[in-house]
Parts: sequence; C-alpha cells; structure tokens
Amino acid sequence: MKEFWDTALLEPLRTLGGQFLTLLPNVLAMTIILSVGWGLAWIIAYLAHRVLRMVGLDNLSDHLGVSVALARGGVKSDPSYLVGRAVYWMVLLFAMIAGLSALNLHPFNQFAQSLLAYVPHLLMAILIVMAGYLLSNFVSQTVLIGAVNAGVPPARILAACSRWAVQLIAAAMALEQLGIAGNIVAVGFGITLGGVVLAAALAFGLGAKDLAKEFLEQRFGNKPRTRRPDDLTHL
Amino acid sequence: MGATPMPTPLNPATETIVEEIGETEVLVGIPSFNNASTIGHVVRAVSAGLAKYFHGFRAVLVNSDGGSSDGTPEVVEQAIVDFEAMLISDRQSPLQKIITPYQGIPGKGSAFRTIFEIARRMKAKACAVVDSDLRSITPEWIEMLLRPLLNEGYDYVAPYYLRHKYDGTITNSIAYPLTRALYGQRIRQPIGGEFGFSRALVGHYLDKHVWESDVARFGIDIWMTTEAIASGARVCQSFLGAKIHNPKDPAADLSDMLVQVTGALFALMEEHHSVWRQVEGSAPVRLYGFQYEVAVEPVHVNVDDMIVTFRQGLADLGPIWREMLQPDTVEALFPLATCPLRAFRISDDLWTQIIYDAALAHHRYVLPREHLLKALTPLYLGRTASFVLETQALTSAEAESRIEALSQTFEKRKDYLVQRWSPQEERA
Repeated sequence: MKEFWDTALLEPLRTLGGQFLTLLPNVLAMTIILSVGWGLAWIIAYLAHRVLRMVGLDNLSDHLGVSVALARGGVKSDPSYLVGRAVYWMVLLFAMIAGLSALNLHPFNQFAQSLLAYVPHLLMAILIVMAGYLLSNFVSQTVLIGAVNAGVPPARILAACSRWAVQLIAAAMALEQLGIAGNIVAVGFGITLGGVVLAAALAFGLGAKDLAKEFLEQRFGNKPRTRRPDDLTHL
Repeated sequence: MGATPMPTPLNPATETIVEEIGETEVLVGIPSFNNASTIGHVVRAVSAGLAKYFHGFRAVLVNSDGGSSDGTPEVVEQAIVDFEAMLISDRQSPLQKIITPYQGIPGKGSAFRTIFEIARRMKAKACAVVDSDLRSITPEWIEMLLRPLLNEGYDYVAPYYLRHKYDGTITNSIAYPLTRALYGQRIRQPIGGEFGFSRALVGHYLDKHVWESDVARFGIDIWMTTEAIASGARVCQSFLGAKIHNPKDPAADLSDMLVQVTGALFALMEEHHSVWRQVEGSAPVRLYGFQYEVAVEPVHVNVDDMIVTFRQGLADLGPIWREMLQPDTVEALFPLATCPLRAFRISDDLWTQIIYDAALAHHRYVLPREHLLKALTPLYLGRTASFVLETQALTSAEAESRIEALSQTFEKRKDYLVQRWSPQEERA
C-alpha cells in the first residue's frame, strides 16, 4: 500500500515540484522583465510625449491640419500625447514578448517569435490606416471646395466618393500588410473599384447626358455658350 | 534687410548685356506672357514717355518674359516710336532694351524679381513696372510713376485709376479696406499692377525670401505695396486716368487669384503684426496728377450665377465655414439661403467680420491654409453680388462712397482683430 502511495501520488507530486522549482527562476525573471518593462514603457512614453511637445509636434500638426482631422474623427488628445501612448504600448509589447521568452518553454518561445515577426506588419498596417484616414479627409475637403467653386452641384457626393476611395485603398493595403486573405482583398478591391467606376460612368451617362452633350457641342462644335460670362475684373 | 541675398535669377546672356550697358538712371520693366497683341503699344508708350519726359537720362526698358510662344519678345524688339509725330526732337539718349526670360516659378512675381535684379545691378535711381496687357497706357504714365521718385524723394508710387464701379472687386472689397485698416494709409489701388519704386526699395525687395511663395504669382502687387508701407518707405499715388486692359476670362482662375491675393495679405499680417497692431485709423496719401473724368468701359455682371455659387457654398461648405468663422458670423449667413434676390445683402459689418475671422483662422491654422483661402470664394462672390445689387442704380462716385463706408467699418472693427490675434501670440 505504501509502495502504491509513493508511486501513484508522491512521485508525480515530487516531479511536479521539481519542475516548478526548475521553472521558478524563469517565472521570477519574467516577472522582473515585465515590471522593468512596464516602468521603462512609462518613462520612455513620458519622455517621448514631453520631447515631442517641446520640439513643436503639436504646432506642426496644427499647421498640417492633422489635429483638425483627428478632432473630426473624435480624437481630442494632442498628437504628442498619442505618440507617447503608442510608444508606451510598443515598449510594453516588447517587454511581454521578452517575458514570455524568459519562461523558456517551447510553445511560449514559438508564440513569442511569431508575435515578434508580426509586429512590423502590424505597425505598418496601423500607420497605413492612420495615414489613409488623414489623407481621405484632406482629399475629400479639397474635392468638396473645388467642386463648389466650380459650381458642380453634386459636390458632397463627389467628396464622399473620394473619401471612401482613399479609405478603401488604405484598408486594402493594411489587410495585405497583415497577410489576411491577400487574394480575396485584391480581388474584392478590384471588383469594388470597378463597380464604383462603372456606377460613376452610368450616373454621368444617364444623369448628365445633356450636360455632356452641351459641353461637347461647345467644345467641338460651333454652338455659342448659353450662359453669358462676366466681364468682371476682380483684381 | 540683413538677410543673405538669394542666388542670381539672371541668365548668362542677360548678364552680359547688363554688363555692356553698365549703369542707368531710370528703368521701366514690363512682365509678359503671350501678350503679343498688346505689348507693342505698351513698349511704344514707355519709349515715348522716357524720350519726352526723361530726355538726357540714361534709360533702360526691361521685358521679363515667361516663355511666350506668340512672338511677344519679337514684338518688343521691333516696337518703334515715331518721335517726329509726337514732336519729340531730343533723341540724344537712345533707349536700351533688355529682353530676357525670367527664371523661377511661373508668374508675375518671378518676372518682377528679374526686373529688380537688373535694376539693382544697373544702379537705377528710379524704376517703374507696367503691365503688358494695357490698352490705355500713355507716355504720361511713365512721367507720373517716375517723377515723384526723382523730384520729390518718394520711395514708392502707387497708381490711382478711374475704373468702372465693378472693375477690381477683390481690390474694392478686400485689398483696399484691409490694407487701409491695417497699415493706416489710404492707397486706393494697392494691387494696381503699375508702380514706381526707388533704388533703396529694390534692395529691400530682393533681400526678402519670398520668391517661392504666392508672392511670385498674383501676390506680388499687394506684397510690394505692403512691404513699402511696413518698411517705412515714403509712399504716394499718381493719377493715371482710366485703366483699360485686355479682357480675360476671370471666372477661370478666380479661386486662384483670391487664394494668392488673400494668402499674401494674411501672410504679410503675420510678418508685420508689430506694425499694424499699433495703427489706429488711416490718413490720406498724397495724390499727384491732374484729375479728370472719363467714360469707362461698361462691365456686365451675372449676379444670378454668383448667388447660386454662394448658396451652394452655404449648403455644402457649412462645416468648413463653421471651423473658420465665428458661430454668429455663420448664423448671419443662413437667412441668405432663401431670401428673395432683391433682399440679398451681405452688410459691411458682416463682410468685415468674415474677413477678420478668416484672417484669424489663417493665423491659427484651424484648417489647411489652401482650403481656408479657397473656401472664401463663394463668400466673396456673395459679397460681390450684394455690392452689385446695392449699387446698380448708383453712379461711380456714389458707389465709391459705399467702398469708403466699407473701409471705415474695417477701421472701426479693427479692435476685434487685434484683441483676438494677441492671445495666440502669447500662447505660442
């Protein structure tokens, strides 16, 4: 009975205890790495925020219209603060990967290596989405103002189309960067863009055929302008 | 003034000609681009003016061309004046002509830069520039632009024209009232196109690093005037009679013109804040020349189209206008969306507020600046339509009194601008 007790219960417990004691320094190392990483993340993020504010990133963002675009998207924080937070999470992510590696367990090591290899793609995808969002706002505003000044009635529709087109391109590029169903994204993007162009062509052909006819007649025929232009000299 | 001069904008052939001619006393510059149909008359008027009023002076005519493909430089080269028919007997000082392409970004400003550079190298005492599309220029214009510099010690001569009440609407509704309110000098045509300037002012202009900005295009005129006033130069005006120039299609580039003129005005406000914030009221500027009445060409205005563009702006650009204008300014515009044509008015107060709000928004970068300036186009067309509706039954003199009233409103409300500008300065 005693032999059974030793073999069936105490031996596995001893083995488990041994394994735990072997692992304990690694767990301690992971805890230390995570704690130091967290502290470093906080300090580096704080420094990045202060330095970027000092060198005038917020003013530069105001000048470039980035702050306005962020505010329009519901983000009220200063760009320097946002970069600081991004730095915080980046450092923390690296600390977590390093911590997992410190455990020196095969599955965790594999996971950490995969995560590390994926980080640049993730960062690039985030950058593409952010740049695409800002660019889409800028492009749509340019189109809107230009169309209104040119007296084109569907100015808002044109502006919305340009915004979605830029965001669609950015989303497709980001998904490709993440390696998510690359072929499906490319095909889907091609079909969507083709559809948009076809829809625009149909809309122009059916809805604005008189306008197109008048324009072509004036351009290539000898039909006089129906609207009399101003003689106004503005300067 | 003490900045390092920019690299020379002259090409080697021009440098050689300048060296061969040496120094000069008076210089007249003509910027051009595809003006073959009109520039011959301008060159003849300049040549006659120099021969008639500045005989005995060493004189140079500079044509700074932007790569014309219609033979403009050849027309300049071949333009000859029949001095006998003009009763000009003294021809001891033949006019030297320099015909040169300009370098830099295409535009009137780059053409002027080349003229300034030649004037500096030739140590010209008095210089003038005239547009190449003028049909009403006479030899007397040259005398009126140069004489105050040589005889009266002025540094800058601005033109004073007789114009139709709807000719020069950016000048009348923005450039004149704003310049007058900011800098306190009543220069009626601050973006006139023809100017006289001294050697000292040429040096000042060339030392400024503005030649890659809007100043190099339509912004050059307002920049020259503002720099002259802000630098403390002695400024006067000369009466030139009617200004008639070749018709263009103004609607084609209105937005660009407005961007360049208002962009230059607002940018100059940044640079000369310390000058204009202390100025209160305005003073008349000495006007030379014998004034007379003359019939000016009628101007057809399509008010309906202007109001349609304004109302489309109100419908589509509302969110952008809300970012650049104060809430009460935008609210005051909305009744204009549905009011009958006869009641369509943008008052002097409201227009002043729009321009001051836009200047403040430009100062604070609340929008990309190009967007902000372009978004002013429907507002400007609305104000122009309002002015036309208000003054269509008035004479030119009565319409001029409406511009005077607008300018006084700009002056009265200047505190609004000064007070809101300063907190931003302190924060920065």
